[in-house]
Amino acid sequence: MNHTKEIQDITARLFAEGRIDVFVGYRMTGFDDNQVPVLITDPGDVSSLVFTSGSVFNLVNYLKTEHIRRKRVGIVVKGCDSRSLNLLLTEGQVKRDSLYIIGICCEGVTDEDGRKMQNCTECVVPDAVVYDELLGSPTPSGSPTPSGSIPYKVNADISELSVKPLAERAAYFEEIFEACIRCNACRHSCPLCYCAKCCIDQETPTLYNGANTTSAAFHALMTWSLHLAGRCVDCRNCEKACPSHLPLHLLHKQNESVIYENFQEHLAGVIADDRGAFYKYSLKDPDDFIM
Amino acid sequence: METDIKDQLVSVEKPALTAPPDWEPVIIGILCNWCSYAGSDLTGTSRIQYPPNIRIIRVPCSSRVDPWFLIKSLQTTADGVLVSGCHPGDCHYISGNYYARRRFLVTKKLLNFVGFHENRVQFSWVSAAEGPKFAKVVAKVTDDIKKLGPLHLYKKENFAKK
Repeated sequence: MNHTKEIQDITARLFAEGRIDVFVGYRMTGFDDNQVPVLITDPGDVSSLVFTSGSVFNLVNYLKTEHIRRKRVGIVVKGCDSRSLNLLLTEGQVKRDSLYIIGICCEGVTDEDGRKMQNCTECVVPDAVVYDELLGSPTPSGSPTPSGSIPYKVNADISELSVKPLAERAAYFEEIFEACIRCNACRHSCPLCYCAKCCIDQETPTLYNGANTTSAAFHALMTWSLHLAGRCVDCRNCEKACPSHLPLHLLHKQNESVIYENFQEHLAGVIADDRGAFYKYSLKDPDDFIM
Repeated sequence: METDIKDQLVSVEKPALTAPPDWEPVIIGILCNWCSYAGSDLTGTSRIQYPPNIRIIRVPCSSRVDPWFLIKSLQTTADGVLVSGCHPGDCHYISGNYYARRRFLVTKKLLNFVGFHENRVQFSWVSAAEGPKFAKVVAKVTDDIKKLGPLHLYKKENFAKK
């Protein structure tokens, strides 16, 4: 998967036509083989843009920042990124008119060791679902389908963990929450965490203990994952940002599998104007766990 | 060296995790104003006995219950949580309990996934006319949690402060 040339051409054309003020893409770090996001405002810098299987970050995260909100933006999105962009559009956080979206039919991105990322091996929506221009060849099965016809794959870690005894799971997660240093990089890197004032930071009254303790990390991360339940698109930006390398996808994928199996909802962001599982209800929702 | 100091600190702060012989569970009951709270009131005025372990918090609707209420309860003092609201179709705000029902299921499964027994968090529909049912529900929840014993998960720091 290499769309470097096409993206450079499109960006140069967009700047020449005056359709965008800023382009959000990837460039090489300059000192290793990794890529970093770059915001280009000068047409002369277009040659630094790249797009290969090393383009791991979700650039939609940059659309929520204040300095880019009122500008016309060009952006490149993979399948998962486009789903988060779809959610931001649905939730009224960005305007479609001010965006020029280059969608990618993604073949999966690789981590630093060159292996395909786990979420890419399990991906069911590899093609961009919202775009002005689509690069690459679409998947034969087609991506946006109603629930039921998407072959949902339960995450391998979830199916492995959920059959373990309760005490073992408790010990496993206690270790995870203990390793958390409460830097909130997961929240900052999440494209769907856009609240100007996060409830975790609220001080009057203090809802969340800000201390760097296992207990406080448990409270904050659990709530964070529940705020993203039915909205998380599994782009794994949080995991890439986490300095402690915590497997944060476990919480999100657990919620996603419960929602998918019990409520027969679409996967988050696949359908335009679909606000996620917690914004609606069905009379047929499971009731057997309630006395 | 750093880890050594940390180990020492932890060993000093580590509390005894055994239940005292006269231990009684603390259960947080979050009840909807229109059905379950009135139902619990009826239980009292009907002179029906129910375990005093439950601490009742009144909320306007079961959909007012943010999942962090449950998480924070379990993280700080409670050994278990009971959330109760109107029966489906009876919600004072038409559809609040339908929204709540989805949230409850996901929260319950997530808490179970990270290591809480499924009986730590329980839900019930109790109408304003179901005084005897409320007493039964509280008795069952108390019984379940007494069997499970005190909850120590994520409480160590809070114990150490006392």
